[in-house]
Amino acid sequence: MSGATEYDLVREDTSTLELGAGATVGFAVVLFGFGLAGLFELVAVTESVAGVQLPRLLGGLLTLASAALAWFGVASHRGLVPTDPRPSAGVVAATGAAGVWFVVGGLVGSQTLGFGTVGWLALALLAGAVGFAATALPREDLGTTLPVAALTGLGGLALLTDVIGPDWAWSPVGLRATFAAPIAIPIIVLFCSLLVGWAGAKAYGGFGARGRHLGAYALVYLNVLSILGVLVGLLAFVFTKGAPVVVQGITVGPGAGPETTIRLFGFAHTVVWPVDWPFVMNGVSLYAEVSGVLPAIVGTVWLVVGAVLFAVPLGVGAAVFLAEYAEEGRFTQVVEVATNALWSTPSIVFGLFGYAFLVPRFGGSKSLLSGMLTLGFMLLPLVVITSREAMLAVPDDYRDASAALGVSKWQTIRSVVVPASLPGVITGVILGVGRIAGETAPILLTMAGATEPSAAETADVVGGFALSSSPPFVTNPALLEATSALPYQLYAIISAGVGGDAAFGWGTALVLLVVVLTFYAVGIASRTYFRRKLHE
Amino acid sequence: MSTELNETQTEAAQSPAELGGATTVGETDERTRAEWVDHEFDGDAKIAVEDLNVYYGDDHALTDISMEIPEGSVTALIGPSGCGKSTFLRCLNRMNDRIGSARIEGSVRIDGEEVYRDRADLVELRKRVGMVFQQPNPFPKSIRDNVSYGPRKHGDLDTTFLSRLLGRDDVDEEASLVEEALEQAALWEEVNDRLDDNALGLSGGQQQRLCIARCLATDPDVILMDEPASALDPIATAKIEDLIEELAEEYTVVVVTHNMQQAARVSDQTAVFLTGGELVEYGDTDQIFENPESQRVEDYVTGKFG
Ligand SMILES: Nc1ncnc2c1ncn2[C@@H]1O[C@H](COP(=O)(O)OP(=O)(O)OP(=O)(O)O)[C@@H](O)[C@H]1O
Ligand SMILES: [Mg+2]
Repeated sequence: MSGATEYDLVREDTSTLELGAGATVGFAVVLFGFGLAGLFELVAVTESVAGVQLPRLLGGLLTLASAALAWFGVASHRGLVPTDPRPSAGVVAATGAAGVWFVVGGLVGSQTLGFGTVGWLALALLAGAVGFAATALPREDLGTTLPVAALTGLGGLALLTDVIGPDWAWSPVGLRATFAAPIAIPIIVLFCSLLVGWAGAKAYGGFGARGRHLGAYALVYLNVLSILGVLVGLLAFVFTKGAPVVVQGITVGPGAGPETTIRLFGFAHTVVWPVDWPFVMNGVSLYAEVSGVLPAIVGTVWLVVGAVLFAVPLGVGAAVFLAEYAEEGRFTQVVEVATNALWSTPSIVFGLFGYAFLVPRFGGSKSLLSGMLTLGFMLLPLVVITSREAMLAVPDDYRDASAALGVSKWQTIRSVVVPASLPGVITGVILGVGRIAGETAPILLTMAGATEPSAAETADVVGGFALSSSPPFVTNPALLEATSALPYQLYAIISAGVGGDAAFGWGTALVLLVVVLTFYAVGIASRTYFRRKLHE
Repeated sequence: MSTELNETQTEAAQSPAELGGATTVGETDERTRAEWVDHEFDGDAKIAVEDLNVYYGDDHALTDISMEIPEGSVTALIGPSGCGKSTFLRCLNRMNDRIGSARIEGSVRIDGEEVYRDRADLVELRKRVGMVFQQPNPFPKSIRDNVSYGPRKHGDLDTTFLSRLLGRDDVDEEASLVEEALEQAALWEEVNDRLDDNALGLSGGQQQRLCIARCLATDPDVILMDEPASALDPIATAKIEDLIEELAEEYTVVVVTHNMQQAARVSDQTAVFLTGGELVEYGDTDQIFENPESQRVEDYVTGKFG
């Protein structure tokens, strides 16, 4: 293609055309983002903008894009545009097209035209065959652009002409569900823009090898965009629902907040917070203006801290044994299978274990300690697996070098192997904490207290420590009391309808999300620190 | 099988050369073999190897090696690739024990003590017999920590947090030790302003010299070097060669090299290994290079074969 452009005197034209194809791709990306936003109700697709209904506008844009695409294909075929197409778009593209056309043909046949099973199946097969032939038989430029242009043009026209408008709703035959316009329109836009993006990118590359490369690139890129979109959409959804509840009644100023007394082994110190953040600092209470989730936050934080303190030393110790001391063989294989199986064990089973085994041994009632240990047992296998992998990945060169310096095996493990594997160990802990912090079932069985805990029910683990003259010398009643945790409270609110409305639930969900993300942030920061130390 | 190989080679080598007396080269080999054991040198034997055989699985990597290495000298090991030089070197500090498939028979004595006894203390042995590997293998730690690693772990340097709190830290001692070792390894100039940088950020040749410094810092009696100059430029190589000669005043050095000139320059004795893991000739370096008894060795050192 570059060869052709070099001899082309009318370079302006060529680059304008190229620009046109590029613009189509950019256009597709924007439409795609728009479709995503619509899907998550971040943009109301049924509204009007400047007097034009949004579906019509989107339809018009899609139609325009498909027309541009078709024109580019034909122009390339006529030789008006210097491109480098292959004889055929290839079997992969044709199969993809056949699938798409099959689905569209089937939907139109069964839903729009109301054919019976035989009728729509025949139509779908026919459409699929046509799609395949239309893509595979013509030269690559036509085969790529025309079928896509036809399909997106169809979608665009349906929107433009109000066939699918804001009031459109589809109740599929045989399914007790209704798909309304706010869902259907974003999906159509997403789908069509994906196709336009692919074909447009191929056209921009002048078809051929370069075009295929760009086409694949566009698909991958849009795919990543959609994954990110789903993530961001999810977060934004929770945030928009939860934030209004969470920020209620925040006041800032000296002395504005509640008093907290920090106790440690009998010493007490009272601080008055300079911020009042009711949702985070209150418990559930009839007397407070705003009910909050403080006991649950504290419960979740202590749960995770306790589980990590329990599981990490044990898990890393086991991993050291497995990776450094045990002979690779039957035994390590069995241990590996067993740890993997433990990690995949449903959490309710761990919960039941805690309920039947731990709870009776710690005073017979549900307690924070039982919850910590149950979640610790859940975390343990992942810590063992990832730590062992990380240690096995440490090059033997380091071990040889250390041994050759006359350093004992244990010292080598401590000063070379474990530091080199720390980032991997931390990765495991991060993943595990993400899982256990959100667990509900084990908590339900082992530590859950009140579903509507008041501020007085906040676990004071630090202050609970007291010295005693008889074994075990240090006691902590706070660890042996039932308390709440965020996912548990959320579950109680939603399923039982107690303690407030759904809005309170969204607030709790947002706080849970932030707590988990904070643990993540701490984990990732420490991992980055240790990685730096190893490589810089 | 190996004798057959010898004979064909011998004939090929002999035909153009002078065919003096009735002695064939094969017999000369036998004669030299008898001489190695009581190879004459001044001073005590630091290392005495007797009938050493090494197998990797079924692969016979070293065959009946016997040699004595005098204290305070440089011994060069030369020979074609894959002939077992590294294997031999690893036998001297029992690093071969770390290779699962390796089987070692025979005896190695250091200062008269049998290394391959069951109750030999490998940690102590390797403190005394230091090693620089063929591939540079610094730890993923700072340059300083790499050099001071050995002394710290041996308890010669106390720079823990606790000792620092108690005001008993050996920081100055560590600094001078690190400087001295890096200076000896001809690396100090290049890294003295970035001792806290990670060693993995050094170039291959710098890493190699760092590994030499790390080995020197532990102050062994014997230093085994496996091609210490393979990744170095001529200037650094010259420095390392000077270092080796310097070291020979205090230490016993065994060095593997592929570079004949280097072997000739730095070593007092040279051992020539040839394919099949045989020690073909061992003697004073001058004699090996100028007047080898074995035809195969002559061919090898003059570059006709290998
Ligand atoms: N870990 C091992 N496992 C199995 N065989 C090995 C191992 N290490 C070395 N060998 C074999 O032993 C023989 C001698 O190897 P060695 O590394 O001692 O040679 P070398 O003389 O050091 O060669 P080079 O000059 O290339 O470093 C070779 O045939 C090699 O394949
Ligand atoms: Mg070698």
